[in-house]
Parts: sequence; structure tokens; C-alpha cells
Amino acid sequence: MELGQVCLLTELGHLSNLTRDRGSSPLAKRLSDELNPYPRRFPEEMSRPTLLRPMAQILRLAPLALAVASGTARAAPENLTEPETATSATLPAPSKDWFFVRGYFETGGTSIVDSATSKMLGMVNTSGWSDLAFDPMGKVYYVAETLWSKGNRGTRQDMVSVYDAKTLLLQTEIPIPGRLIIGAQLNNFAVSADGKTGYVYNLTPAASVNVVDLVKRKFVKNVELPGCAGMMPIAEGLVSVCSDGSLATVNLTGAKAEITRSAPFFVPTVDPVFDSFSYSAVKKQAVFISYTGLIYTAKIGAKPEVAAPFSIQAAAGLRAGDTKPLDVNWLPGGWQVSAWHRASNHLYVLMHMGEYWSQKELGSEIWDVDLTAKKVVRRFPLEDKAGNLEVTQGDKPKLFVNSGRDGVVIDLATWKAGPKIKRISGGIISTIEAP
Amino acid sequence: MKLFNPDAAAEKLLRRFAGGTSRRGMLARLGGALVAAPVFPLLPVSRAEAAKPDRSPEAKTAFARNAQTKDDTQCDYWRYCAIDGALCSCCGGGVHTCPAGAESSPVSWVGTCINPDDGKAYMIAYRDCCGKPMCSQCECDNTDRETPLYVPNLNNNVIWCFGTQSMEYHCSTAVLVGPA
Repeated sequence: MELGQVCLLTELGHLSNLTRDRGSSPLAKRLSDELNPYPRRFPEEMSRPTLLRPMAQILRLAPLALAVASGTARAAPENLTEPETATSATLPAPSKDWFFVRGYFETGGTSIVDSATSKMLGMVNTSGWSDLAFDPMGKVYYVAETLWSKGNRGTRQDMVSVYDAKTLLLQTEIPIPGRLIIGAQLNNFAVSADGKTGYVYNLTPAASVNVVDLVKRKFVKNVELPGCAGMMPIAEGLVSVCSDGSLATVNLTGAKAEITRSAPFFVPTVDPVFDSFSYSAVKKQAVFISYTGLIYTAKIGAKPEVAAPFSIQAAAGLRAGDTKPLDVNWLPGGWQVSAWHRASNHLYVLMHMGEYWSQKELGSEIWDVDLTAKKVVRRFPLEDKAGNLEVTQGDKPKLFVNSGRDGVVIDLATWKAGPKIKRISGGIISTIEAP
Repeated sequence: MKLFNPDAAAEKLLRRFAGGTSRRGMLARLGGALVAAPVFPLLPVSRAEAAKPDRSPEAKTAFARNAQTKDDTQCDYWRYCAIDGALCSCCGGGVHTCPAGAESSPVSWVGTCINPDDGKAYMIAYRDCCGKPMCSQCECDNTDRETPLYVPNLNNNVIWCFGTQSMEYHCSTAVLVGPA
């Protein structure tokens, strides 16, 4: 494609986007979809000087024409005689009804999506290699990230960056000695229920946790955590899942960190639990699901207690999952495999048909598990296979499911899927539990 | 001075043994041993036979049943049973060679893959090549015996560019370590 053509199409893409905001003109939408197939290329192309600016200026007037033509323009005509002032929007306090959709793999940016409208509200400035965590008071967003002084090289800098929740502007950076770089994972960065302490997982490849004082906004210490991963904050410190199938409690109340281990409750090389488990720092409870589909619920604390597991397949009236080859069954799979709605105690799991060791296979159904009754109460077939899902924690819960770069919101009251949110990103999804 | 008396010591030992056993008990134990014998193979041949892993199609994973040994630019190449990422063999490198300008990671995650030609299992080190943006060619994500992050040496999501000049992930190789 010629540069000139790209610029022209970019302008048209802009026009159609603007038009869509004014009332979803079908023509504008079609234009947008057809003319804007590779939006990621545009920022580079647009920054180059172009001779086509005058033409673009003329084309800028087109959205009005399009909007009028489609009959969806607002009743009051715009004042086109007064020059406008460019401004920046602000956001209300973080809501339990919002989804935070991370950029896929190396892609930066976390899109905030309103579950009520499926519309994007803004973007948290997460860099390519970063993890996001929430302030229980809703004042700021925390981004644990790794940057280099010269972009893709130079001095490595690890930090927890603090963004104002209203303006989404950077407040400060808290330097930390390191963190694990991985394609964004749910449980590698967590904030304690009182909002005072942050825990950043590190792997060098020796495992440890970096403890951050979020009140003083200072790094506190690095604590070795051999053979464990996953950050579950408790009053005394944190709990982590370990390679011997146990839970490790890291007690940070004394001068020296003390680590105690629970009895192993699973065998990691035979049937491990997914590391994208759900943890409630408020309820101090976790829900794990294993590769074969065993669901474990656990009370997390100084001495964690894990309840006897049950099979998700058996809970649906089917044969339990097995590790044997050639045993084709419904199995959990994906990246962010399960989502737990705390208040109703329902777990939503991405399931696919396959053999064992297909744990990253995308889900073709969502299974709704009533954890209290230990029953699968619904199996929902997905139009597009999905790798991630998360649920809002309000009293009208909705699911966000994504695959490839598109996402969709599903209303759990009706199990109706909203409009496809194109190119919102295929990254992992977070929701807010508190306040 | 009391001298050691072997006769008395032997008598004491035998009496203690006799007092603690019965003929029925002896028979029961002998019978138990006879029944259990097949479980403990005595000959070296049968021991070797027993130690040989089951490589029948019924015992192989879906990946191993369908793996090939001819084309290392395909996701189903046998060594790639637990690889995740872009194949360096599609990015200007090879199965154990980083593309020009990329640096091989000194540490890696590992996989145990079965070669379909000889039916034997080999340990494969998946060494990431680092220091360039991600190569977008031949992206694969195979998961035989791949574990979550808390068993990192078998986890293929971690960016394994530790100890290299740059942590930037470019592509992955599959270096043969030896028979597993």
C-alpha cells in the first residue's frame, strides 16, 4: 500500500470512528471495518510528514455529512463558528462493573471497558512488560513494569508506577530490584486487602517476592520464595502455590521472613492446578482448578485449609477427567481459564474437548459451576473459541471473554452476549473486588 | 570376668526367634511371598523389560502420535512437544541456532519428547533467542508435560532471556540434550 493511500484511509478511518460515536451509523461502521483493517500500522505511518494534509483537512469535514446522511445526527446542530478548546477527559472512581483488558503479549495499554455498554472508557498506561493491580480505596492504579533506558536496550528499570484513577496520569514511580517478565499473568502482582502493601513476583530464575510499601511508596525488601509462584496477600504476608503441590505461607510480621508449607494437596507433574487461579484478598479464599478439571476451594491464611476437590465433569453428570492419552473428554483450558464471582460463589470455566496435556487449548464452552452445590448449572457454547475470561464482582455480574483480538461481554442474568468488541485485545482481564 | 559365650548367645537368639514366631505365621509369610513373586521380577531380563516405558500409540500423547522428524519449520516436528513461541528455524536461525544478531539464553525450560523414528524419549532444552523484537513466523504452542509457573523449568510462558544482554524475546530453539 502506498503511503498516500494509507494516510487517506487513516483519515477515513477517523471519520468513520467519529461518526460511529455520534450514533453508530451502519455505513460508518462498514467504512471503518473495510477501510481500517490494519490499525496497528497507522501510528507509525501517520507520524511521517505527508503532502496530503490539505486533502485530509477537507476530508475531516466529512463525518458531519455522513452523520446527517445516516439520519442519526443530534437534534441540536453543532456550533461551527466558535473555535474549540482541546481537552482531556477524566474518569469516575473505579467501578466493580468495569473490565480491565490487558494488551496482548508485548502490547502495551489496558483498555477499561464498561460492562453495561461494552464501550471503552479509557486506557491505563501499562507498558509491554507489565502487571496491573488495584488500590482497594480506588484512588490509584498500580502498574508493576519493566522498561529499558533506550527502549529495546540500555539500562533495565523495574518499578511500580502509580497512576491517578481519575486522570490516569502518572503520580510516581517506585523502583524495585526486579520482576518476572512473562506475557502478563493474573497472580504475579497483588495488593493487600488494606491497600498498604504490594507484592511483585520475581524470577531470575530463582523465585522471590519484592515487597513494596504503598503508603510510603518505597521498596521494602526481597524475600526468597524457592519453588513457589502466585501472590495471595493475607494479613501476615502472603501465600503462594509451590512445586511440591503445597501452599507456602510467607509470614512478614517479624524481622525475618518465615516460610511454612501446608501438606501437598496435588501432584504438579501429574495433575497441576492452573496458575491463573482466582483469589479474593477480601474473603481470604481461593479457587483452583486442575488440568483434569478438579476444583479445589481453599481458605487462605497463616495455615491454609484446602477442601476435598470435586470433578467439574462429574458435577455436570459426565465422566471425570483423566490423564490417560486417547481419553477424550471436556477439559479446562486457555490462559485465564476460570473466573470466580465471589458473592454468588459461582465459577465460570473455559472448557474444550481434548486429551490430557491440552491445557492451553481455547475454550469452546463456558461452564457455570455452582461451587456451593458442586453442580454445573449451565453449559454455554461460545461463538468464537476463547482463551481468557473474567467476571465483574457487582450484584449483576457480567463476563468478559476474549479470543484473538476481539472481546465480548456476556450478561449472566440472561446469558446473552453483547456486540463483539473488535480489536479490544486478547490479553488477560481483571476486575475489581473492593470496595 | 565374664567371657563371651557363643553357645549361650546363639541359644538366646534362637529362643527369642522361636518365641516370636509360629509355624502358621511362617507358612502365611511364605505363601505371601509366593503370591507376590511376579510383582518383583528376579531376572535381569524381565527387570529391563519392566523398566522399558510403554511407547505404544495408546501410551503416547496426541502430539507424540502425530509428530514428524523431517521438517523443523513445522509445529509438529517431534522436538517441539513443549515449545511456545516463534520457531527460530523460520526466522533465519535453526533448530539449535539463533538468527543473526540474536543471543541464545544460557538457561531454558525443558521438554521430554519422543522421537517417532526410534521410539525413544529425549530431553530437549528450549533456549530462547533474545535481543530483537518477536519474530512473527511459525508461532507454535505445544504443551506436553508443560506445567504452571510454580514449576518454572517446565513452564513455557516465561521469557527465558535470563543472563542475556537483553530480555527481549525473539524466537525459540529446541536443543537436543540427550536421551531422557
